[in-house]
Amino acid sequence: MTALAGLRILDLTDLKGAMCAKLFGDMGADVIKIEPPAGDATRRIGPFLDDQPHPERSLLFWFYNTSKRGITLDLNQPAGQELAKQLAAKADVLVESAAPGTLAQLGLGYDELKQINPNLVLTSITPFGQTGPYRSYRSSDMVAEALGGMIWTNGFPDEPPLHAMGLQAYHSAAFFAAIGTLLALLTRDSLGEGQWVDVSIQEAVAGAVEHIAPFYHQGLGIESRRGSLHWSRYFRVARCRDGYVMHCSLGDWTSLVEWVKGDGKAQDLEDTRWEDLVYRREHAEHLFDILDDWAKDYSVAELMEGAQLRRIPYAMVRPPEALVDDPQLNDRGFFSTIEHPELGRTVRYPGGPIHFTATPWRIARRPPLLGEHNTEVYGNELGLEADRLSALKQAGVI
Amino acid sequence: MAPSQKSRRALEGIRILDFTWVVAGPVAVRILADQGAEVIKIERRDTLDLGTRRGGFSGNLHRGKESTVVNMADPRGIEIAQKLAAISDVVVDNFSARVMRNWGLDYDSLKKIKPDIIAVSMSGFGHTGPHKDYVSYGPTLQALSGYTLQMRHPGHEPAGWGYSYADMTGGYSGALAVLMALWHRKQTGQGQFVDLAQFEAISSLVGPGLLDILNNQTPSEPVGNRSQEAPAAPHGVYRCKGDDRWCAVAVFTDAEWQSLCRVLGQPAWTREARFASLADRLQHQDALDGYIEAWTQQHTAEEVMSCLQEAGIAAGVVANGEDLDRDPQLRARGYWAQLPAQENGKPVLSGVEGTEDIILDGPPFKLSKTPGHVAAPGPLLGEHTDSVLRRLFNYSDQQIAHLKAERVIASHAEIHAERSAQD
Repeated sequence: MTALAGLRILDLTDLKGAMCAKLFGDMGADVIKIEPPAGDATRRIGPFLDDQPHPERSLLFWFYNTSKRGITLDLNQPAGQELAKQLAAKADVLVESAAPGTLAQLGLGYDELKQINPNLVLTSITPFGQTGPYRSYRSSDMVAEALGGMIWTNGFPDEPPLHAMGLQAYHSAAFFAAIGTLLALLTRDSLGEGQWVDVSIQEAVAGAVEHIAPFYHQGLGIESRRGSLHWSRYFRVARCRDGYVMHCSLGDWTSLVEWVKGDGKAQDLEDTRWEDLVYRREHAEHLFDILDDWAKDYSVAELMEGAQLRRIPYAMVRPPEALVDDPQLNDRGFFSTIEHPELGRTVRYPGGPIHFTATPWRIARRPPLLGEHNTEVYGNELGLEADRLSALKQAGVI
Repeated sequence: MAPSQKSRRALEGIRILDFTWVVAGPVAVRILADQGAEVIKIERRDTLDLGTRRGGFSGNLHRGKESTVVNMADPRGIEIAQKLAAISDVVVDNFSARVMRNWGLDYDSLKKIKPDIIAVSMSGFGHTGPHKDYVSYGPTLQALSGYTLQMRHPGHEPAGWGYSYADMTGGYSGALAVLMALWHRKQTGQGQFVDLAQFEAISSLVGPGLLDILNNQTPSEPVGNRSQEAPAAPHGVYRCKGDDRWCAVAVFTDAEWQSLCRVLGQPAWTREARFASLADRLQHQDALDGYIEAWTQQHTAEEVMSCLQEAGIAAGVVANGEDLDRDPQLRARGYWAQLPAQENGKPVLSGVEGTEDIILDGPPFKLSKTPGHVAAPGPLLGEHTDSVLRRLFNYSDQQIAHLKAERVIASHAEIHAERSAQD
């Protein structure tokens, strides 16, 4: 059983919004990805499987398009717009990420779509939202991370601030968009109609930064980046024998001091003043300098295991490749192996964010080939005759 | 606008019993509180106050929730919590499995009092698996999932996020989990248990790089400020005029490159063959960065952003707390929630120093018919103990006084008096 069985989602997004539709597809909704006849732009961007550039081998496209069916449609042609309306008439949600006003110019704005299907939820994911002075400004994941406050927090004070790993502005927007979409679906019956969900990627980033705006609004001024030292000053990265570890001065303090003392490296940490969390915060640089000197002779694994045995939340600072063999992720079935029959091989995919027990997250199908479900969707489901389909194909509509 | 004048919110009628603490759990629940869910937060009497609870970091985490102080070490306290669970739609915690089980509030027990309950537990590693008892915080999960090491400039030391992004991803995943489970309940009448592992939430967002590792065995690299989406050059965070001022600039297409050259006044270096095509520019990015930064350093970050945007180039100030507050776009869209601390010269909220209004973040998306909003700032510890028990169970003054005397519950007034006496 899946949580979203029976929901139909039309996915008109580009890279900015593809994750939102994936969240629905992996949880059981029937997601139809609508690509231009030349294919989604991400099909031509790497990385590629076996490093062979090909529109059916893009890992960028694959990551964001699992559990979706795929059709092609040229929305710039009137016949394409007509087909989009027919699809919208039978859908619960249309999620899109075109610049504000684009859909309306194609005759597919919220007002038009509402006439066709009053129950439809339209979810629009754009860099700055549908309104405001920046609504037509250009953006990217990095630019959104900058304007939302995320980049400011990252990096060492004597280096340029840092972009996050992964497209985290788009990811945050995708989650908030999925949240907004479900809220609109949950209110659909009582309102008797759908809604338009307006998601700003800039706001999504701001809504996923925890401290700099609250600090400013509390009168605490501008909180700056501090390298690997967390703003709370309870965490900092240390170099040890074979790599890096994340110190944490929260957790069982007595056990930590006992351990360090046993190695003859406690210096002044036995002073009872350190038992106070505020004192630890205020003297964090000194504290972590002592712990750095202690940690440097240990291996990463020794520190993590020794700390966890003592209920101290240390962690290895490791590359993402370490996730592949992580015992916890593997025990919980985080990774799945999906058949790609046209390649004669399987592909391993990372799992989802939420572990539901009654309605498990799963990849229902591998990402679609370009136009793979044209006949299934336009023919079987919309009822277009074969000659009409081939005429549309000849006109380049699908 | 007073709350009564606002339109109804999407989750009105949904009650959430909230046992969460620190960050990820409270973020999940506050997203739902902004949308009208009734959130009853169960707190300990000895909860450490991190600054003001009305605004700031703590207020932003707990905005719109009701704080109820219940002594869970007393069987009568547990009984109150169970009575609350029986009339709730959702119970959220972020403990290891043992804690809720000891209180008779684990999913199997909850299901007996409320068959269609949705129970979401947001632990670090999940309730199963060899590391289920490992302890973690957001920054340690970011380290384990590969971000901290590779968020650095090539050849430099690892930095990672300066904050707990993993708590935010755990938070929005938790909110999404509740809504998906509510949708499922609406269709089937069935509740369920959600065993959300914050480690899995952040690991699910590594992105295509993890597919590359899994299937091509491509080693990861420090990401620096190079494009991770379509190839782009120049692409970076450039120093501008002023102290620690920066602007992010991303130039994807040849047309954008030509626009950039015009903005820069077509200096001779822009015509060098090594910058002719995107492939050339990608190959000589470091040299390109030097030229771009020589220009950006002569202008403020705001000037760089506005003249590049006017030329159709993606550019944005690296916003700090003050920039966010002043951002014309966020202001025009009403992103910030402003809650008055005083009306007609009289304080409307206790626990607020000075006369400044409280500014909090608002919901980062807008629903056209049921827009969310922040209805109240963060609650004081125990502010709603009495009102929750009166409203939901019709407790009399005598019952409440008795439970307080027995230290089963506490309201803000007693806790405040007790703490003042100790100081």
